Amino acid sequence: MLRFIIRRLLITIPTILVVITLTWGLIRLAPGNFYSGEKKLPKSVEAAIREKYGLNQPWYVQYAKTMSHILRLDFGTSLKYEGQSVNHIIARSLPVSATVGLLAYLLALAVGIGVGCIAALKQNSFWDYASMTLAMLGISIPNFVLGPLLVLTFSLYLYWVPPARWYGFFNRGLILPVLTLSAVYMAYIARLTRAGMLEVLRSDYIRTARAKGLSEKAIIMRHALRGGLMPVVSFTGPALAFILTGTVVVERIFSLPGLGNYFIQASLNRDEPLILGIVAFVAMTLLMMNLLVDIAYGFLDPRIRY
Amino acid sequence: MSCSAPRFIPLAILLISCVIIAGCTASASNTGFFGKTQPPDRNVLRYITGDEPESIDPHKTTGQPETRILMALYEGLVEYDPKTMDPIPAIAERWDENNDSSEFVFHLRKNARWSNGDPINANDFVYSMRRALNPETRARGASLGYYIKYAQAYNSGEVFVHDAQSNTFLLARDFTPNAAPPPLSEQPLSGDGEFRPNAQESQPDRDTAFHQLMHSPERLTLPGDEKARNKLLAKDAKLQAAVAGKDFVRVRAEDIGVEAVDDSIVRISLSQSAPFFKGLLANQLFRLVPRKIVEQYGEHWTEVGHIVSCGPFKLQSWKPYDVLKVVRDPVYWDAANVHLDEIDFYPTTDLPTELNLYKVGYVDALGNHAVPNAWVDTVRVAKDYMDAPEAGSIYLLINTTKPPMNDLRVRKAFDMAIDKDTWVKWRKITRPLTGITPLGIFHDYQLPTPVKFDPEQARQLLGAAGFPVTKKSDGSYSCPSFPDGQVEYMYPTATSNKIQAEFMQAQWKQNLGIVVQLRAMEFKTFIDARANLDYKGFAFGGFSADYMDPFTFLSIFYTQAGDNSTGWWDQKYVDLLDEGNRTPDRAKRFELLAKAESLMMAAQPIIPLETGAVNWLKKPYVKGMYPNAGSVFAWKDVYIERDPAKWDYATPDMK
Repeated sequence: MLRFIIRRLLITIPTILVVITLTWGLIRLAPGNFYSGEKKLPKSVEAAIREKYGLNQPWYVQYAKTMSHILRLDFGTSLKYEGQSVNHIIARSLPVSATVGLLAYLLALAVGIGVGCIAALKQNSFWDYASMTLAMLGISIPNFVLGPLLVLTFSLYLYWVPPARWYGFFNRGLILPVLTLSAVYMAYIARLTRAGMLEVLRSDYIRTARAKGLSEKAIIMRHALRGGLMPVVSFTGPALAFILTGTVVVERIFSLPGLGNYFIQASLNRDEPLILGIVAFVAMTLLMMNLLVDIAYGFLDPRIRY
Repeated sequence: MSCSAPRFIPLAILLISCVIIAGCTASASNTGFFGKTQPPDRNVLRYITGDEPESIDPHKTTGQPETRILMALYEGLVEYDPKTMDPIPAIAERWDENNDSSEFVFHLRKNARWSNGDPINANDFVYSMRRALNPETRARGASLGYYIKYAQAYNSGEVFVHDAQSNTFLLARDFTPNAAPPPLSEQPLSGDGEFRPNAQESQPDRDTAFHQLMHSPERLTLPGDEKARNKLLAKDAKLQAAVAGKDFVRVRAEDIGVEAVDDSIVRISLSQSAPFFKGLLANQLFRLVPRKIVEQYGEHWTEVGHIVSCGPFKLQSWKPYDVLKVVRDPVYWDAANVHLDEIDFYPTTDLPTELNLYKVGYVDALGNHAVPNAWVDTVRVAKDYMDAPEAGSIYLLINTTKPPMNDLRVRKAFDMAIDKDTWVKWRKITRPLTGITPLGIFHDYQLPTPVKFDPEQARQLLGAAGFPVTKKSDGSYSCPSFPDGQVEYMYPTATSNKIQAEFMQAQWKQNLGIVVQLRAMEFKTFIDARANLDYKGFAFGGFSADYMDPFTFLSIFYTQAGDNSTGWWDQKYVDLLDEGNRTPDRAKRFELLAKAESLMMAAQPIIPLETGAVNWLKKPYVKGMYPNAGSVFAWKDVYIERDPAKWDYATPDMK
C-alpha cells in the first residue's frame, strides 16, 4: 500500500510538468500580450514592461525560470494585478470556490445517494420513475440555464435570496449557487447509485446474506451499499477536485470571487503566472483526488489489493 | 390513496408561489421604476463600476472602471464638472494661462491634505508628474502627458545632444525645415502682456532659472537607443555631421516642463499650444500620488495599511472580484461637503447579473453600458434609466495602404452604400456620426457634412474605380471584377459587434453586390492585428474622449503611429490642427479644427457609424449623479435622498 502511494506520488511530478509545459506553450502561441489594450502603448513603456518581466530574454531562459519557480511552488506575481502574488490570489479565492463546492458536493451526495437507493429498492415504482425523470432533467439542463432560472424565480420574483455576489461563508446568498452547482452531480450520483445498487442487489453474496437471515436493513447498509457505491466513488473523486477548485460557469453567473472566475480572467488577460499557477494547482488537486479514490477502492472492495 | 397527500404538496407550493409572483410584479410596476426603490439603511452607495480594477495606482491604469474608483481616492489640480465634465477647481483653486495656451500656472489651495494629515504642496505635483512620465513607471496613459515640454523625450528615453566645448545643446529648429513659429512658452520672457488680460493676476508667476530654460529654444532630442539613433542619423547627413564628436545626454525627469514656483504655485510649460490641456489634467494620470509612501513600499504602496490618498474618500478594504470599499476621509479639504459615508464598488462585467442585482435592490447604481440592446425597450421606459449622448464614436477603420481600398472612390462607395439611419434606429439609443467627432457633445463645433446614403452613386463610384456593378435579372447586384478576397471586416468578438458586422455585410451585399467576409477575433488578438495594420479592408474602431474637446478625437490621426491604424496621414491636417490650437479665440479655433476634420473625411480613412449613448440606471434616491458624456462622477456631490418627494423621477436636469 505504502509503495503504491509513493509510486503514485512520484508519477504526479512529471505529469504536472507536462501539463505546465503545454499550458506555457499555448500561452506563447496566443497572440496579444497582457499589456496590450485598446490604446497603443508608447514604445518606451512597452520596452520597460518587457524588460521588467524578462520578456526580452530567449524563450528557453524564460521557460527555465518559470519552471524552477513552479517546482518550488512559488507561482510568482500576477502581471495584470501588479504586486499581487499568485499564491495569495489562490489562497484568497480557493476558500470561496471550496465552500460553494463542498456544500454542493455534500448536498449532491446526500440527495443523490438517498434518491438512488430508494429508486433501486423500489424499482419500477412511481418513485423510481419520478426520481429518474428528475435526474435526467438535472443532467440535461446545463447550469447556465438552471442558474438564471433559479435567480428569476427566487430573487427577481420572490425576493427571497440575493441574485448574485458573495456575502460570506454560510450566508443565504450561497443557496442558489450551491443548488445550481449540485444539480448535475446530484443527478449523476442518483443514477450511478441506482445502477450500482441494482447490480449488487442481484449478486450472489446478497443472496447469501439473505439466506443466513440478516435483516433487510443490515443487508443494505452493510453489504449492498458498500458495493453499490463503487461507481459513485470513482465518479465523485475527480468530480470533487473540479467542484472544489472552482466552477467557471457558476462563479461567473453569480459573480463569486472564486478560482474559476480568476482563471477565465487570467486567460483573457494573458496573465501567464496566474494561468500557470491555477493550472498547476488544479492539476495537483486532481491527481491527489484520483489517488484518494484509488485508496478508497481498497477499503470498499475487498477484492482490490495494492 | 396514501400517496395522495404528498402529491398535493408540490401543487400547493406552486399555486402559492404563483400568487406571490403575481403580487410582487404588480407592486413593482406601479411605481414605474426598474425594481425596488428602498434606500439603503446607511449613508452608503453600492455601485457596480465594471471590471475588476487592475490597480488603484492612478498612473498604472487607463480604464473607465478604474477612473471612477480613482476619482474617489485621488484628486489632481482640477476635477471634472459633474454635468459638463469641464475642468473645475480641485487642489488648484484657480489658474491662469498664457495667450497661446502653451503655459499654465496653477494656484493651490492652502488647506489641501493627504489622508495621513500631511499638507499637499506644489512639489507633490512635480513628483507625481515626473513619476507618471518616468518610463520605469510603465504608465499606459503616459502619452496624454506628451504636451508637456520634453515629456515625450523623457518618457521615450531620448537624449539631448551636448557640445562640451561650447557647453551648448543642439537646437531642434536648426534641423526642422519650415518649422511653425514656436509657442510663447518657448520664446524669451516678455513680462507684461504674456498672460491673457482676463488672468486674475497680471504677474502670476515669479521668474526662475528653470523658467528661463523653458523659455529658450527647444533642444534637439534623438532616440536613446543607439541602433535607432544611428538609423535616423544615417538618413540625415546634415544631422550626422552636426552630431559628430558631441555627447549624448539622457533627458532627465528634472528637464520636463513642470515646476514648483513656490509651495503653492505649479507652473506647467508645454511644447505646443493646447487650450484643452487644463481639461486633460483631470485625467487619472495627473492625479497626485504620495512620494514618501511610494518610495517606502514600492509596488505595494496601494495596499490597505500602506496607502495614503488625497481624495474625498480613502480606501478601507479591497477584496478582488468581490468589493472595494472607500470611506469618507475626515481630513479632506472639503470634507464638510462630502455626503456619503462609504462607497462600495462591486466588480462585475456580466450585464444580466448587474441588472438583477440592481432590480432586487442590492446595488444603487450601475456603470455605463449596463443595459444590453435586447433589454433597452423594457428598461428605457423606467424612470430611473439614464438617457444622454456619450463622448464616444464608433466607426470602421480602413486600411488605406492596400488595394483596392487605397482608391478613394472605393472607400467612398463603401461609405455611401450603408444606410446608417436604419442602423441607428435598430440600435435605439445611439445617434449618427458624421466624422470622428461625436454628435451633440460640442455644441459650438461644426461637424462635417454627413455622407448621404446613396447606393446609386456608390455603384457609379465603384464603376469609375474599375469595378463595374451590374444589375442581375432578379434585381440584385453583382460586382464580379471586385477582388473580394482582398477585403474583409475584422472585429473583436462580442455579440453587439457581430450584429453590427452582419448589418454592414448585408448592406454592402445588397447595394454593391459585394460580399465582405467577416472575421471575429478575440480582443487582444484583434488589438494586435489592428495596431500593426495587419488587416485587409475594414476594422472595427471606437474611441472615447480623454477630455472634453474635439481635439481628443482629431488627435487619433495627428500621428502616423499610435491609434491611427489606417495608414492615412496628411501634413495639411496636422498644420490645420496646430494652427487651431494656437488660436485663443474658441470660435475661430473650432473653425480650424472643423476644417481639418472635413479634410480628413474627404480622404475617408474611416467610415463613421454612430455616436455612442450613455446607458445606465440609478435608483431615484441617488442624487447628485448625472449622466454626463464620459460617465465619470465627482463622488463628493452624490448623496442618498430619503424623502421620496425629492427623488429623481426622470433623467436629472443637465443644465
